[in-house]
Amino acid sequence: MFRLPLYGLRVLDLTMAWAGPYATRLLGDMGAEVIKVEAVNNWDLLRSFTGQPPTVERVWDKSPYFNHVNRDKYGCVLDLSQEKGRALFLRLAAISDVVIENFRAEVMEKLGLTYEALSVANPQLIVVSMPGHGSSGPERDFIAYGTNVEQLSGLCHLTGYEGGPPQKTGISYGDPMAGIAAAGAIALALWDRRRSGRGQYVEVAQRENLIGMIGEQLVAYSMTGREPPRRGNRDSSMAPHGCYPCQGDDQWLTIACEDDAQFAALCRAMGRPELASDARFADVVSRYRNQDALDVLVAAWTRERPKAAAAALQAAGVPASPVLSAAEVFEDAHLRARGFYESVAHSVAGVWEVEGPHWRFSESPAHIRLAAPAFGEHNGYVFRELLGLSAEEIAELEAEGVTGSTPNWAVHE
Amino acid sequence: MPSESSSSLEDLRVLELTGGVAAGYCGKLFAEYGADVIKVEPPSGDPLRRRGPFAEERPHRETGAPWLYLGTGKRGVTLELAQPSGQRLFRRMVEEANVIVEGFPPGYLDSLGIGFEALRAIKRRIVVVSITPYGQSGPKAEWRATNLTSFASGGQMSLTGEPEREPLVNGGSQAEYQAGLQAFSAAALAAHQADTTEVPQHVDVSAQECMASALELYLPWWAYLKRDISKRRGNVMSGMVGVFPAADGHIGLHIMPRNWPWFARAMGREELIDDPKFRDNYTRLQNNDELEAIVYAWAAGQSAKELYRQAGAARAPIAFVHTMGDLLESEQLRARGYFHEVEHPLAGRQTYPGAPFRMSAVEWEPGRAPLLGEHNRAVYCEEMGLSGRELSHLRTAGVV
Repeated sequence: MFRLPLYGLRVLDLTMAWAGPYATRLLGDMGAEVIKVEAVNNWDLLRSFTGQPPTVERVWDKSPYFNHVNRDKYGCVLDLSQEKGRALFLRLAAISDVVIENFRAEVMEKLGLTYEALSVANPQLIVVSMPGHGSSGPERDFIAYGTNVEQLSGLCHLTGYEGGPPQKTGISYGDPMAGIAAAGAIALALWDRRRSGRGQYVEVAQRENLIGMIGEQLVAYSMTGREPPRRGNRDSSMAPHGCYPCQGDDQWLTIACEDDAQFAALCRAMGRPELASDARFADVVSRYRNQDALDVLVAAWTRERPKAAAAALQAAGVPASPVLSAAEVFEDAHLRARGFYESVAHSVAGVWEVEGPHWRFSESPAHIRLAAPAFGEHNGYVFRELLGLSAEEIAELEAEGVTGSTPNWAVHE
Repeated sequence: MPSESSSSLEDLRVLELTGGVAAGYCGKLFAEYGADVIKVEPPSGDPLRRRGPFAEERPHRETGAPWLYLGTGKRGVTLELAQPSGQRLFRRMVEEANVIVEGFPPGYLDSLGIGFEALRAIKRRIVVVSITPYGQSGPKAEWRATNLTSFASGGQMSLTGEPEREPLVNGGSQAEYQAGLQAFSAAALAAHQADTTEVPQHVDVSAQECMASALELYLPWWAYLKRDISKRRGNVMSGMVGVFPAADGHIGLHIMPRNWPWFARAMGREELIDDPKFRDNYTRLQNNDELEAIVYAWAAGQSAKELYRQAGAARAPIAFVHTMGDLLESEQLRARGYFHEVEHPLAGRQTYPGAPFRMSAVEWEPGRAPLLGEHNRAVYCEEMGLSGRELSHLRTAGVV
């Protein structure tokens, strides 16, 4: 086995919430030394999503969501709004490879921590910003949280039931997508740095990244002048193609037939082989035209069965999958057989099982190395070992509130 | 941003085999950031070419929007991998390649003698990226899938749609685009690793695992607390988060606790800021029905675009649902020069999205999608040294 791909790479991580932390989780999973930087009065909002009473001891270290997104990272507390904090940050930047942040466009400017300033401290540094709209343009300071990004990117407009309004997707979709892109951009910047010897500045405008993921629809609009229709779960050419009710409470099964052979297989599996030669369903055009009637027949069959009937359809050669809830994804036998879930022991919050790194490299397989940092957990490593500060200096930083080990809970109350 | 540009990725060569939207998006990103991406299609054309809509509404293998979009910046050759002479030629191409991207069923390339184990013997530092719905191993590895069934397997579909209706797939092939974006970033990292440490790599990208890694707080809530809160909740999560009908479209709210005063002012209801029923997050959720009614009534009278401008300037996170037309007209996207015009010999001049991220020292350029077999001569003859006669033999044999 070989070293992890990012072994030896140090990342200073100023990101909070989901988009940036998803990116740095990927980097941490792949072997980077990620140091998450928070402050007593500016700590990651996700620590406040605890699902537990606020009276629980060190509840900010027990947020399932925070601990999930921030594994494979170290954590320190350093207040960048103070002069001393910024000076120490620049010293850290000088011995790091990547600085990444997802503040609004103007925040780093106000802190004096622009790319120009950081690259003076370290010309090899790769600096990544992840603003919603980008660092220029009339909307650069507009706030775009979570679900706003998909509204600003066309994805929300494309999603919805036939004839219905645009629909919110199930997650803050633009966040992880920006995170994946940021990690990829860093990989390209590392390729470039090996050749040029220099770092660079990368900007991932979350909105622009997400438009890339619906780009074919924009090209289609440019060609036809027509807004794409919302199709629910239907497809522009395949039929049947839908989500069908099954036995039990709120249980569903998706089925999609790509061609006549798969449709004939579905008919046989449903015990209705005659439907394959029914004039209404004999070819894809007929099935498309008559899909309302077809969906009624398919649903009559699924309704009498559990959603696990997907396995029987697969055995017959028909693309099908149950709609899995998050809990079912966690318990999924296939993912378990692939060893997707791993155990993590957190210094304060206990032992849990969560999904392991999903970038699976054959020659350097990654596993979770570190639980998420408790607030300020690695202050000692950062201040003493990396920066070489004395115990007195560290005590002074604590007294001045430049560092600490307890967040000001009122910030996100 | 400094504008010292070079194409430092020109010594990165990617061979993209058949692999649907996911492999196509992965290859597209490499190509636009300057890598030399060769799309290797069967002589009958990649299945992506059959997807519409098409220019002038006439199905044509060169003018489908998904093909045009996903093909930008690539070169294109045809090659029948199922034939031994096609495999021989492919092995020679691999000698000059860094990354192979493919989306065949697990084991297919191995059965042709051109899987990862065979290719690493040819090229020591090769990276093979395999993108599939369920990954290379496990009981569902052989399962068939489309974007719809793949989306259902990853958990995100259970969270999308109205509670009283069936779960809903995201618009626009998102299971495939997610897998494609993940594959790009993983592949770029594997290429860097191979470049620095000479370690080859077979990267196994499972669309299901990619989606499972992005279940927001829903998977952690189950994993850590054994509480399953993954219920789809439609368009409105609360009076502070959701998509609401406006007079001329839809607005989207994502109001965090600290945005409350701004939001109340944006609604013209300053008195709600300190109202005991709404003054903090807890009371707002306790009185959510009343708050939702206020928001619905207010939103219905608003012009979505006008409100977006005013609210943005006032620091209230209120967006509006952009149509394709709205995106093309967006002042923000235009001011940033986001869109690009791309000329194609058969599809004409169309508007394409721009760079998903901007790099100060790696140039981004869109280019256009290759015609079927457009670069056969350049790649096989000029670069690999085949004679014109050898190429026509291969053509006669149906290999190219």
